[in-house]
Amino acid sequence: MASTEETKTAQVRIQLTTRYPDIELPDDPGPLLVSTGFRRYALSTLVNNLLQTERPVPFEFLINGQFLRTSIDEFLTANGISAETTLTVEYVRALIPPLHVSSYEHDDWISSVDVLSGSSPAVREAEEVSSGQERILSGGYDGLFRMWNMSNEVIATSNAPDEGGHTLAIKSVKFISPQKIASSSMDRTIRVWDYSEESATLTPTLELYGHKSSVDSIAVHSQSSRILSSSSDRSVGLWTTKKSEAPSAPENLIPKARNKRRKLSHPTPSKTGTQRGPLSLLTGHTDVVSSAIFSPTDHTVGYSASWDHTIRTWDLTTSACVDTRTTAHPLLSLAAMNGANLLAAGTSARHITMIDPRASATTIAAMTLRGHTNGVVSLAADPDSPYGLVSGSHDGTCRVWDIRSVRPGVGEVGGGQVGESVYVIPREILKEKGKSKAPVGGEGLKVFGVCWDKHVGIVSVGEDKRVQVNKAGDIIRT
Amino acid sequence: DIDPESLLPKLPDPDELRPFPTTCATIFRGHEGRVRSLSIDPTGKWLASGGDDGTVRIWELLSGKQIWSVKVASDEPANVVRWRPNAEAYILAAAAGEDIYFISPISILSPEEEEKSRAILDVGWGYAASSETNGQSKKETPAKWARPGARLEDQGALVRVTVRSTIKVITWHRRGDYLSTVSPQGQSSAVAIHTLSKHLTQLPFRRLKGLAQSAQFHPSKPVFFVATQRAIRSYDLQKQQLVKILQPGARWISSFDVHAGGDNIIVGSYDRRLLWHDLDLSTRPYKTLRYHKKAIRQVQFHHGGLPLFADASDDGSVQIFHGKVVGDLMENATIVPLKVLKGHTVKSELGVLDIDWHPRQPWLVSAGADGTCRLWN
Ligand SMILES: [Mg+2]
Repeated sequence: MASTEETKTAQVRIQLTTRYPDIELPDDPGPLLVSTGFRRYALSTLVNNLLQTERPVPFEFLINGQFLRTSIDEFLTANGISAETTLTVEYVRALIPPLHVSSYEHDDWISSVDVLSGSSPAVREAEEVSSGQERILSGGYDGLFRMWNMSNEVIATSNAPDEGGHTLAIKSVKFISPQKIASSSMDRTIRVWDYSEESATLTPTLELYGHKSSVDSIAVHSQSSRILSSSSDRSVGLWTTKKSEAPSAPENLIPKARNKRRKLSHPTPSKTGTQRGPLSLLTGHTDVVSSAIFSPTDHTVGYSASWDHTIRTWDLTTSACVDTRTTAHPLLSLAAMNGANLLAAGTSARHITMIDPRASATTIAAMTLRGHTNGVVSLAADPDSPYGLVSGSHDGTCRVWDIRSVRPGVGEVGGGQVGESVYVIPREILKEKGKSKAPVGGEGLKVFGVCWDKHVGIVSVGEDKRVQVNKAGDIIRT
Repeated sequence: DIDPESLLPKLPDPDELRPFPTTCATIFRGHEGRVRSLSIDPTGKWLASGGDDGTVRIWELLSGKQIWSVKVASDEPANVVRWRPNAEAYILAAAAGEDIYFISPISILSPEEEEKSRAILDVGWGYAASSETNGQSKKETPAKWARPGARLEDQGALVRVTVRSTIKVITWHRRGDYLSTVSPQGQSSAVAIHTLSKHLTQLPFRRLKGLAQSAQFHPSKPVFFVATQRAIRSYDLQKQQLVKILQPGARWISSFDVHAGGDNIIVGSYDRRLLWHDLDLSTRPYKTLRYHKKAIRQVQFHHGGLPLFADASDDGSVQIFHGKVVGDLMENATIVPLKVLKGHTVKSELGVLDIDWHPRQPWLVSAGADGTCRLWN
């Protein structure tokens, strides 16, 4: 039997690798002999020494795709790996905790948020958004959306109901381009707006009718001028933002001002000739459709998530449902991971289910991310990593996940791999009040929308009437 | 020695009976004073509530955002709100004092839905006018159907029905044309059945033995159930005769609900009992459950296909049960207590006054004397 002394000094051979060229070791040192007692910090120091960094850069380490959270020795034991083998150890820059940058205050709850920066999908190659000129859009329960600059100033507000604006709460707002915006509302419409930076004005250009209930989410594909929408009426809508290509609006859904009372409830459209209908309405879901998105790799493919527990894949060219994945819970949100064939779906049962939507995938749920204490209503992929994700929940927090940070789920519903969040972002207003724990039901702090932009950071909105910006240090992944 | 407990059939582990509500997901704040009643609409998106402040409010279910409200009474509570059980149109029945209002909450409706709702509420005007000219005197009519006036009509309260005594219970027939109201102090007019399409009110029971507490339509047959303090009687509406008298053994029944299959009934009582009746078995309860420290105010089955039921009590808690009804006549329902939901605070001896299940999801809402509604999932 090995003595305690021997165990402490036991060594293991490691081969360091990275997939990021800017942090590659200048000369491959080959396998290195290190103590099995090493933890993340000791390994990080070692890599910094090899890189001869001026200031220490914190690194994280992956062995067999799993983050090292213990000593190497404990990791080997837990995973049944022999200390005799040469370990391949991948290193990546550590995620720096996202810090609060600023808050933008509103008068009412905020349902949704989007960011325009130089790296936004809404910005084409020919266009440019220089640093400091980024814009934030926030959609409110007051029926208005606002455009903010980086100095906490509102530079434009959408029109009031009697001037072509929404008549009820806005549920989703998105940049189509730096000059074009789409918004959707509880008032059953999607509206398209032109934005002029010179005059800082928003002009309603299209009112899209077709949904029979609240339009709870929209996704845009700028290059093809398409919008995908999801509604409480259990359908998914496909629309074009090109007036000339859009079918006419269904007559029975356009409000007509016939008497005074009706005028109050459904204001007359301010301009004639701006109403249009959907390219198609996709039916099949049997309950509220909470979210619909374009496939990140093919804009003729759409995905939708519903309270009916399913994720459906749609061929948008033929309007056919080509796949249905049934999960165990009502689904409240959906996002596609960047560069990975994975969808993340937020549930009312307080977790996130990771799903491989490819027909060849055999398992229903590839992974379950646990930690939220209320419904997960908004998701956004890390713009820089196929493994990163941020979630917004009614528990009053956003959580940052790295799907490589997992443990096997033993004895839990669904089983499979279970992920734990890397960081929790609380609402700043909670700190200001000197509290640390969110109240029951996330009351007053519910997060309704979250967006992750490469330049601006993680931007979240909710019941606290604030747009909250959190950003990791520049070191995160430059 | 054999432990007698070991001979009892083992109840399933609650963990194996998921999903059921366990957590408070949303708190709905806005009412001043007690929330008396609540109801989730047939699409499952909107929550309606009524309270001591005389207002009826509509909220977005998941977020808890209030999106609409109307004040129907200035000196009386809005005691009951119940959505019409048919998703083709949005109609909310709300009672305050002796008045029932039929409300079409226009701001959340599409023009098409608004038109449908309006048509359903308006069709009876002509019928009522023609029957009045046919010699029926106003004195004899048990209720007055009228337009509630410009202010309320502008907000979507399109029809008002006034009965003779304060209404405490409203229950809709599944098709959405009939609804029943119960006014416990109303004596011969305590139980009324209203026909929306005819603006007609009928009093089916001239004499009731005891004070009426609640009433329900059978989910599929022309049978009507009426609870007095001690008994529940079922009547055949076509033959106009008494079918059965259930004796739950409670001293004062507060509420009851009929299972979707029609053969099982749960009963709650002010003397803290929750009783399960199997109509095939006996007029006595098959099971008596005593978990609460205070009166049970409300009981309800999940009507969307999940084997769940719940009760609400003045001790401030809601209890969730598994209740699986089997088709076999020889086999009894399996009843398993699953979860006690705590959160409402008790105010002046009153706790949870009403509950409603989501039409499809394993979600429940509760109305509290503490002025809040809560969503549990
Ligand atoms: Mg039976």
